[in-house]
Amino acid sequence: MVRSRRRITATERNEYLLFLLLVGPNLLLFGVFTYWPLFYNGYLSFVRWDMLAPIKIWVGLDNYRYLFTSPEFGTILWNTVVFTVSAVLLTCGIGLLMALLLNQPLRGRVAVRGIVFSPVMLSGAAIGIVWIYIFDPRYGLLDFFIRGVGLRSPNWLLDTSWAMTAVIIVHVWKTLGYAVVIYLAGLQAIPRELYEAALVDGAGTWARFRHVTLPGLSPVTFFLVITTVLAAFQSFDIIKVMTDGGPVNATTTLIYYLYEEGFVGFNAGRAGVAAVVLFLAMFVFTLVQMRYSERSVHYA
Amino acid sequence: MSTFRMNRRQLLKNLAIGTGAVALAACAPAAAPAGNTGSAASSSGSAAPAAEPVTITLWSSYSGKNGEAEAALVQKFNESQSDVVVDYQFQGNYEETAQKVTAALQARTAPDVSLLSDVWWFKFYLNQALVPLDDLLAAANVDVNDYQDSLINEGVRQGKHYWIPFARSTPLFYYNKEKWAEVGLPDRGPETWDEFMEWAPELVRMEGDEMKVSAFAHPDGASYIAWLFQGVTWQFGGKYSDPDFTMHMTDENTIRAGQFYYDTVHTWKWAVPSKDLATDFINGLTAAAMMSTGSMGGIKANAQFEFGTAFLPKKDYFGCCTGGAGLAILSTTPPEKRDAAMAYIAFASSPEQTVFWAQNTGYMPVRKSALESAEMQAYFEEFPQFKTAVEQLPLTRPQDAARVWVPNGDQIIGKGLERITVQSEDVATVFGELQDTLTREAEPIVTQLRAIEG
Amino acid sequence: MAQVDFVDELTPGPAVTQAPVQTSWVGHRQSWLSLALGYLGLAACVALIGLPLYWMVIGAFKTTAEVYRMPPTWLPATPTWTNFVKAWESAPFGRYYINTLIVTLFGSGFEIFFAITSAYAFVFLRFPKREWLFLLLLAALMVPNQVTILPNYLTIARLGWINTYQGIVVPGASVAYGTFLLRQYYKTLPLDILDAARVDGAGHLRVLWSIVLPLARPAIISFGLLSVVAKWNDFLWPLIVTNTKDMRVLSIGIYWLMVEEGTIDWGVVMAGTLFVVLPVALIFLYAQRYIVEGIAAGAVKG
Repeated sequence: MVRSRRRITATERNEYLLFLLLVGPNLLLFGVFTYWPLFYNGYLSFVRWDMLAPIKIWVGLDNYRYLFTSPEFGTILWNTVVFTVSAVLLTCGIGLLMALLLNQPLRGRVAVRGIVFSPVMLSGAAIGIVWIYIFDPRYGLLDFFIRGVGLRSPNWLLDTSWAMTAVIIVHVWKTLGYAVVIYLAGLQAIPRELYEAALVDGAGTWARFRHVTLPGLSPVTFFLVITTVLAAFQSFDIIKVMTDGGPVNATTTLIYYLYEEGFVGFNAGRAGVAAVVLFLAMFVFTLVQMRYSERSVHYA
Repeated sequence: MSTFRMNRRQLLKNLAIGTGAVALAACAPAAAPAGNTGSAASSSGSAAPAAEPVTITLWSSYSGKNGEAEAALVQKFNESQSDVVVDYQFQGNYEETAQKVTAALQARTAPDVSLLSDVWWFKFYLNQALVPLDDLLAAANVDVNDYQDSLINEGVRQGKHYWIPFARSTPLFYYNKEKWAEVGLPDRGPETWDEFMEWAPELVRMEGDEMKVSAFAHPDGASYIAWLFQGVTWQFGGKYSDPDFTMHMTDENTIRAGQFYYDTVHTWKWAVPSKDLATDFINGLTAAAMMSTGSMGGIKANAQFEFGTAFLPKKDYFGCCTGGAGLAILSTTPPEKRDAAMAYIAFASSPEQTVFWAQNTGYMPVRKSALESAEMQAYFEEFPQFKTAVEQLPLTRPQDAARVWVPNGDQIIGKGLERITVQSEDVATVFGELQDTLTREAEPIVTQLRAIEG
Repeated sequence: MAQVDFVDELTPGPAVTQAPVQTSWVGHRQSWLSLALGYLGLAACVALIGLPLYWMVIGAFKTTAEVYRMPPTWLPATPTWTNFVKAWESAPFGRYYINTLIVTLFGSGFEIFFAITSAYAFVFLRFPKREWLFLLLLAALMVPNQVTILPNYLTIARLGWINTYQGIVVPGASVAYGTFLLRQYYKTLPLDILDAARVDGAGHLRVLWSIVLPLARPAIISFGLLSVVAKWNDFLWPLIVTNTKDMRVLSIGIYWLMVEEGTIDWGVVMAGTLFVVLPVALIFLYAQRYIVEGIAAGAVKG
């Protein structure tokens, strides 16, 4: 279709109008409830406001200075990195193993897939609560198994060196099924002929996995890394229910900190800074991901 | 429904104990004329045609046993008269309630009356979100002088009352009498911490190198460790701050108190950090703990063993603070509803109801006349653990500004103490950081306060 | 055609069925050893993911004393319903169910409607810089809800919508993921049918309603179910924007049940979590295939 700058035909105009009618409300809502808040957070990051005072006091870069010099914020950024990286690696790694398994012609695999996937569907708040019960060092299910191998359960949620591990376990447990389903879809999408050709070439199991399966899965893996990074970045319900960001700040991630400053401590300015930092992190991540996707993903 | 029934049962029980015939009569449902098909409200047969009752909203924070008692209190109030209906809404713990109120003020959906804890009411006062209550108190014929002086005075700024004591508490030393008896300790709390340090190792039960029962336990920041530690700082001769916001976290004696907490867990190893102190005590996982008097109702209802209460142990001095929550009227409440709002506050803190409330929860009777009442005296006989709490009350004093007036001061100090009890960080370092943080966070308050109070 | 050929032996549903193809990377003939290992692996998966779920269910049937018993019992010694009764009575769960249902129906209703219409526009209608608008829409996926709550709270407050259904529903009514998903799907639709309809003089809305919609049914159902589940589980925003019992939803109800009951009565708390989880579990049992396909469809390019 050649687009002419001069004349817009009546049909085109009608299409434009219909387009606006169909897309408009959706975009408008995003404008009001997603994009406007971003700008507003940017503004808030320059003021001091406790949500009660009638006026917001302009403090320039004070909030930024405060956060970037406080040791607390360093801990929080580090927590975010630890949580995100571990969650993504574990989810994708274990997810791949499980998918490979479930891709075998084994009886009952559909039922198993259902079980593995089900936590994805369930309320994060409810799941968090169930796991508090499981993590209890005195009568929890996990303690039972840990004792079984002759060790002792740490005080998971009260111990600064274990609480992060605990919330990562729960997050991974809950999102694992998602990775499994995606990888299964990816495995099914690999053309069968590639395996047959590899067999003809005399490739062994490992070689077939290394040279057919893995490259075949790269677009799916790429997608999965993006979505699991986003999911980890946004993980909130579990942390809120299980640890409230504690003990001390052991499980306070950026998103939790943002909530805490914004809606618990009512430091709108600091919450604004956290929002800006989070947005920039997402933005950079998106850029890197776009650059990467252009270069090196093998699409089957 | 069952909570309703339970409230009802408790209510009747307590009424029977003798809250008074007046309340009982007021509580009795208006007899509906038989055979009348009209609406019950219009046919209740009262002499004067009652005006539409005013509905006021009450936000509050109590769960479990205390929540049942509060719901019963509201129900009693609603049944005692026909002018005001209280719509009671649970909003989570003290912190969550205050957050909800803050957010709701912004949206102009704030309640008429809210329960505000010791660390929160001042913030609302500072932002001029609370109504001065003196005229309303006078109009409702409330005898302000009958409130416990120390409690009511905490809610006074510049000679005006803003915050009426309702669920006020103090820390108290609780101990498990069975565990005490097992190791042959006298049936009383330790006079001093030094004495407890001798007792504590005997109370600890180890299984291998795993501690099954600790002698003592510390709550986390979210469960107000900074409140319980307040008294301890005074016992060591330290303090969090002066009333003018000069911080004293790095004073030698404050650090000594912090070091004491550190040692209980990490050096002497007879105390542990706990996520849920009351539950651990009830389940016999810790032999003793400092807890709020407000936990007494729940402990009494759930503990399977005899427990005792005692004054806080002394160190160089005795030290114990007040705490808990009071009621306030939000400034967004329209003038025509303020009398109704006060009517509930007056009811909830009245001599009769404070007895009911105290007996069900363990919170302090906030009225002087309540203490002398026959039913309170009878209750002391029946339940001496509660008497200890009331006897300790005159020895208490209000908390330092750093915890109650600095925004989030409680949580700032609480997280610091967690770093010591949980993370075994160096006390001087942590308190040094707290000193800086608290000083910085107090700055805007100092300016704001000057603007309001001159 | 669905983008994903997901082979379901157990539930031959209305969606696309194909001859089962085993694309195993191991090879075709399996030794008994690899079979045994395979089943061992399956058992491990079930234990790893299923055990906590099982624990939640039986916990709800245990008496308080049994909850604290060590070593734990694998079946309730004296199964009891009292936990459910207690949980139900400790909070207005009936009301919570109604609220959750309303919020879910309207929330998902909006999302599904917007996804259907927006995706159609992005695929079949011309508009200047259409792709840029699509990117703008997609970028919203990058913005976590928690980032927007404070400003959105202020907006909703100004609208006077605090503690109302519209206050819970409207900020989350717009949809990016669904638009993306359906756009992918629409693109795979046979164009000749659409063209034939247009030649017959059918307008866009007519084409959308009577051709695209029926053809895209599997994808719409998939996305719809995902949306329903997400709305049902939503926690933070309803927590912040409601402030009376009669407006709260299930996920808040269970959170507060735990706060109130504390660690004293795990049986009651587990019973409460079952209230929240059960409807979703039932939906999942019946429609697993659609949900799984919907998830997978987002990943594999169409």
